[in-house]
Amino acid sequence: MSPAITVRDLTKRFDKVHALTDGRLTVERGEIHALLGANGCGKSTLSKIVAGAYAPTSGTVLIDGKEVSFRSPRDAEQMGIALFYQELSLIPKMSVEANIFLRREPRNGLGFIDRDRMRAETLKLLEMFKEAVGDDIRPDALVADLTPGQRQIVEILKVYAKEPRIVIMDEATAALDGRQVKVFFDILRKKREEGVSTIFISHRLDEVFEICDHATIMRNGAVVAETTIADTTPEHVVHMMVGDVKKAPKRQLRDEDDKAPLLKLDAVGSAQLDNVSLSVAPGEIVGLGGLQGQGQSTLLRSLFGALPITSGEVLLNNEPVSIRKPADAVHRKIAYVSGDRGPDAALPGRSIFENLAAAILVSERRKLVRAKELQPQLAGVASAFKTKYARMTDAIGTLSGGNQQKIFIARWLATNPQLILLDDPTKGIDLAAKADLFALIRGLADSGVAVLLYSSEESELLDNCDRIAVFNDGAIVTELSGAEMDSFHLTRAAYGEA
Amino acid sequence: MKNTLSAAKPASGSLKKPAWFVAFGFLVVLILINWYLQPSFFDGMVLHSNLTTFLPLILVAIGQTFVIMGGDIDLSVGSIAALVNVVTVSVIAMAGGDSASVPIGLVAGLVVAVLCGAFNGLLISYLRLQPMVATFGTGIIFSALALWILPQAGLAVPDVYWMTYGGTILGVPTVLWILVAGFVFVLIMKRRPFESHLKAVGGNRAGAFQSGIDMSFTRLLSFALCGLFAGFAALCLTGETASGDPLLGQSLAMGSISAVVLGGTMLSGGVGGAVGSIFGALLLGMIGNVIFFAGLPFEYQTLVQGLIVLAALAGGVLVARK
Ligand SMILES: Nc1ncnc2c1ncn2[C@@H]1O[C@H](COP(=O)(O)OP(=O)(O)OP(=O)(O)O)[C@@H](O)[C@H]1O
Ligand SMILES: [Mg+2]
Repeated sequence: MSPAITVRDLTKRFDKVHALTDGRLTVERGEIHALLGANGCGKSTLSKIVAGAYAPTSGTVLIDGKEVSFRSPRDAEQMGIALFYQELSLIPKMSVEANIFLRREPRNGLGFIDRDRMRAETLKLLEMFKEAVGDDIRPDALVADLTPGQRQIVEILKVYAKEPRIVIMDEATAALDGRQVKVFFDILRKKREEGVSTIFISHRLDEVFEICDHATIMRNGAVVAETTIADTTPEHVVHMMVGDVKKAPKRQLRDEDDKAPLLKLDAVGSAQLDNVSLSVAPGEIVGLGGLQGQGQSTLLRSLFGALPITSGEVLLNNEPVSIRKPADAVHRKIAYVSGDRGPDAALPGRSIFENLAAAILVSERRKLVRAKELQPQLAGVASAFKTKYARMTDAIGTLSGGNQQKIFIARWLATNPQLILLDDPTKGIDLAAKADLFALIRGLADSGVAVLLYSSEESELLDNCDRIAVFNDGAIVTELSGAEMDSFHLTRAAYGEA
Repeated sequence: MKNTLSAAKPASGSLKKPAWFVAFGFLVVLILINWYLQPSFFDGMVLHSNLTTFLPLILVAIGQTFVIMGGDIDLSVGSIAALVNVVTVSVIAMAGGDSASVPIGLVAGLVVAVLCGAFNGLLISYLRLQPMVATFGTGIIFSALALWILPQAGLAVPDVYWMTYGGTILGVPTVLWILVAGFVFVLIMKRRPFESHLKAVGGNRAGAFQSGIDMSFTRLLSFALCGLFAGFAALCLTGETASGDPLLGQSLAMGSISAVVLGGTMLSGGVGGAVGSIFGALLLGMIGNVIFFAGLPFEYQTLVQGLIVLAALAGGVLVARK
């Protein structure tokens, strides 16, 4: 029996950028196959070619042993191929159900959209994730009103609604929390039993080792290795991907630790926050833990002035402050980095340079842009993360997902903040860049910056934070520090059992 | 585990007011004011003549909605209407100028209308020209063609044309039939997948493409539809003027865009619907009426009209932000 997918000598050039120079891949029926590699190595490009969204420059794709050449995503869909788009293919101003069935709307005899059937089938699909999201995602809710994690779940359901035989999950777990990932993996396993082949792309290696059978590893647009997961180790895989990765240093405990807090929250409340009290000293990295959507992001966004705070007090350097809009926060040297690139961060269609400069211009109250002066400065920050780009003046959309994210992080670090709010910042960035980021954050902390970090990935909190405040239903249920900072305590606290 | 997930409540889509809510509210207020200023407002004759005045803009606004929902814009609708008008009267004249030649003229006009729209669509969705630039340019071409076909206003149509248009069918005014047909069409489109695909194209081009929607074709269709409705409007105007005029319909482009926006459709695309545009067009017409009956000096009428439109737009934006 021929493999479900065979890819040979695939290349893709965008103008002068060689995004893919040697794409090779074999995926058997009923297996989960990891596609691994650093940011910008060509994973999404390869996926989009297989799913008909890009035409290859050269090379062949075989499905069930037969050569195919797709002219649109629709052609690929007809062959049973469905792609989870890393940047999501959802229409923000449309409902969940309309998005899931976009272009495949159930119709009645008159050619009208059969809304009842669409509703029923959406509810059936949502059932798959019930254990992780309950009834929180309503079929008629606008996608724009969902949290990043919920949007990701909708994109997953959109994939499975097509009943595909071949599925490509391009960083589908990037914004999912532990419980959502577990439910998702149960689905993947069930689909594997049904004979569905899955290509699984993720920067979280523990996930890869939990769920995948084989792995293909890419570097700089070319496939460099293929291996069976059972025969290899995470260290070896990382080595093949990026060479050696340095670990972020743990904080040195010092005596002057009870310095006056830089940030102090006194019973802060709002529609989604319940009496949050917390203080962060200069030099501290405080984690916000718990299941997704319990108020962690809300708190960060409120502190940044993007959401209202209705009660309680926020003190910055012992002074009560009122931050009503992001510009206030920027002027007080507060930086906010979100992993949710789309609506919050990107100036879509603008150049990399403009995207990088956006924050620094507000913080320095500049009206006039001296591009020549700023460019080298910003280029320096961007290269601190080895951001891969061709020219500063290229559109932001030409970057790989992870490299876009690096630009948004660099944007804020260029403003010399005193308080950094990190809202799931590493969504989609690779291991090496992640290590660079946290080394950099730790360096900033050591120089006196206070940091609040929310991450949907628990190990990221455990590895990088000095303390973790665990959220449940908008309130801090417990604070973990010292010996309690382990996966066991964190999970227990997250479920509200501490 | 208590209630862990209640913090992330999605705002419910169904409880929101429809996009045309504001336009409708304004419309009711203006109707009441008009009624107060002109007690005969609800007389059959007055309603009939008002509707006859408003109908062309309503029709153009319906077509324009589809283009705007897809994230584009059509500035050439007025010129299309002029071209259709002169083609229709010329074809009727060439076919003999009797009652039997009227249907030939109507069909010829509508064919030209669709071709003009499709031409816009081709330039924009296949040759990737900017919609604003492209339709500004084609608008000039369509006007020039109209002038070339009929350099001066004239060429009366047979009586049966304007008598039918101005009269009644089965006891109901023809213009009301047309309005009802327009409404029914809009309601049908609302439930057809096409409108949803168009909104997807206007809301997120990449997402629409990745969902397998044929974007170019969808946009082309929206322009053809817009052309068709500009054609319907032209046929109505012809029924009103009973002759050809190469300069007719010059305010239709801006008028229709205002009506669409007043009706709650966003210029950026992806949100809205043609029901709102119908209310928007009626609203624009009523604003004109009220100003007229309020006895404002003529010099101020346009200014006041502009201010009211601005107020209505601002009201819409404020409500949408809630
Ligand atoms: N539309 C485009 N135009 C120009 N260059 C592009 C385009 N899409 C991708 N590239 C370039 O191709 C390369 C590979 O990008 P790709 O998105 O495939 O990376 P990736 O492996 O998915 O990375 P990540 O882990 O960050 O998602 C990058 O250098 C990127 O800048
Ligand atoms: Mg990618």
